[in-house]
Amino acid sequence: MRLLLVEDDLMIGESVLDLLRDEAYAVDWVKDGEMAHTALGTQSYDLVLLDLGLPKRDGLAILRALRARKDRTPVLITTARDSVGQRIEGLDAGADDYIVKPYDLDELLARIRALVRRAAGRAEPVYTYLGVSIDPATREVSAHGQPVVLSSREWALLQLLLARPGAIFSRKQLEEKLYSWKDEVSSNAIEVYIHGLRKKLGNGLIQNIRGVGYMIPTVEP
Amino acid sequence: MNIDLPHSLRARLLWFLFAAIILTAIAQAVIAYRTALAEANEIFDYQMQQMALSLRPGLPVSSELADRFITNEDENFDFVVQVWTADGRRVFQSTELAEMPQRSPLGFSSVDARGTTYRLFSVASGKQLIQVAQDLAARRELAGTLALRTAGPILVMVPLLMFLVWWVVSTSLAPVTRVRKQIAAREVDALTEVSEQGLPDEIRPLVQELNLLFHRMRQAFDAQKNFVADAAHELRSPLAALKLQVEGLRRAHSDAGRELAVSRLSSGIERSSRLVEQLLVLARHQANTAAATGNTLVDLAQAARLAMADVGTAAQTRGIKLSLVQACECRVSGQEEALRILLRNLLDNAIKYTPLGGQVRLTLLHDEGRAAVVQVDDSGPGIPEEDWKRVLDRFYRVTGAEGGGSGLGLAIVKAIADFHGAEIAMGRSTGLGGLCATATFRPGK
Repeated sequence: MRLLLVEDDLMIGESVLDLLRDEAYAVDWVKDGEMAHTALGTQSYDLVLLDLGLPKRDGLAILRALRARKDRTPVLITTARDSVGQRIEGLDAGADDYIVKPYDLDELLARIRALVRRAAGRAEPVYTYLGVSIDPATREVSAHGQPVVLSSREWALLQLLLARPGAIFSRKQLEEKLYSWKDEVSSNAIEVYIHGLRKKLGNGLIQNIRGVGYMIPTVEP
Repeated sequence: MNIDLPHSLRARLLWFLFAAIILTAIAQAVIAYRTALAEANEIFDYQMQQMALSLRPGLPVSSELADRFITNEDENFDFVVQVWTADGRRVFQSTELAEMPQRSPLGFSSVDARGTTYRLFSVASGKQLIQVAQDLAARRELAGTLALRTAGPILVMVPLLMFLVWWVVSTSLAPVTRVRKQIAAREVDALTEVSEQGLPDEIRPLVQELNLLFHRMRQAFDAQKNFVADAAHELRSPLAALKLQVEGLRRAHSDAGRELAVSRLSSGIERSSRLVEQLLVLARHQANTAAATGNTLVDLAQAARLAMADVGTAAQTRGIKLSLVQACECRVSGQEEALRILLRNLLDNAIKYTPLGGQVRLTLLHDEGRAAVVQVDDSGPGIPEEDWKRVLDRFYRVTGAEGGGSGLGLAIVKAIADFHGAEIAMGRSTGLGGLCATATFRPGK
């Protein structure tokens, strides 16, 4: 999952960045409204963590512009503005959720998972497919009842593919989802991870469509 | 003689007015009595005279005349008439009850007889001495009656007058009572204005000043409430950072990770402490506007040197050249510690927003009006003109600025300046091209 973190406070930003990366998210961090606007215009994200009190352009203005161009990226507002009126304003401007600083990190992570789940069109938190079961809350993976240990990137890749069975992801798309713009990507990284996943979960799970990309096939009804 | 006056205006007014009315009534009665007495004396004397003179032709001792006198009891003037012959024989006596001595001077005289005083008029007529006498008691009685008739109405008027006075005083002071009740009926902490409707000129200025005071107090309370609300809000971000940094420490899975997490947590605590510290400084200086306790004559150059020492390390780290230009012997009345903080915050600000290797200059001078002026110039990017006033607000940070400051430095400068009666202004530095911040103190301070 690729997230955009919009936060002008340096200490909060650096902590959240590292904590999210530990949770196998790829995170881009921008510190003002202008950069947020640019990033949202050039890159697609699975979720935006939006602070409101930003220099150069206000968070709500960015949100409104995002929704005005029919962008459906989930937005979670994180802010110190806590009055009921302000919460209503944020939600009505198009935010999907609103959390007030200071917040508990675990709660933030749970809310992120909830929004990502919904955006993928799913409701159940744990999902099982073709014998493979993953729990995003605990990052536990089991294949046919046996627990499996995955590396951080393997986990992220599996989650992406398992969330959208039948969808084909090109290598480039996978790279965009797994890496932030600051990361260096070696050209065969994706193949390495796919290979690792096949070894741990079985060959039939992930299909390679030549010239297009990878997918997890839909189950024949 | 010290009279203990009652504290109530109303009581005082009524007391004095009633006393005045009563004293006037008494004086009136006394004067009426004395006048009436004088009048009665004149009238009776005249009558006695006339009576005596009318008897002069000779008084035949005839009983009818005597009877006539005696039966005039209803008039009861107590005239006593006696006639003596030359040889000392009483020829006539109008009443047996009173006897006058034969020897008496002619004309008017007084005689004491039978326990009372008589007014006696004697006239000689040929061989006879005619005496007419009257008991003075009768005169006084008549005088009393006349006086009563004159003063009577007044005595009736007194209660009426007193009632009228009481009513007028009460209604005139009614607005004061109303204001008192209005203020007493309010909520304990209500600071709303009191109505000035229908108040007399003597009271209205008082109520107006009271309302102004309420207004000022409301403003002070609102400012206080805003301060607390702002402070609480501003503390959220530092606290959020601390929470996340602790979380980072908890999840650290290597020594290096732990080191990093601990150092971040330290910085976070540092920042929070600094913010709290600045809030306290700001609160302390905002509370004391116009309090003149503990003011000394402060040498601005000395305060400037101390402030420069405070920021020396920060300037050095950024390679910024810090200089002091002293063009006057500036002394102002105020508090040394506070002025040091003011100067330090201005320098801090300049250093923070000036790029590495730049310059910051602190100048002390007198302007044309002999007012002491402190000026801080820097070679940084300056502040846009539309922000010059806003930058002194609490928690205001110029958009796009780096720094991570609390936004309170200049608010503190403003609070201390207000306390000292000084003006703070931002502008463009002609010398170094960046920001020029000036603090102008009142001349003669």
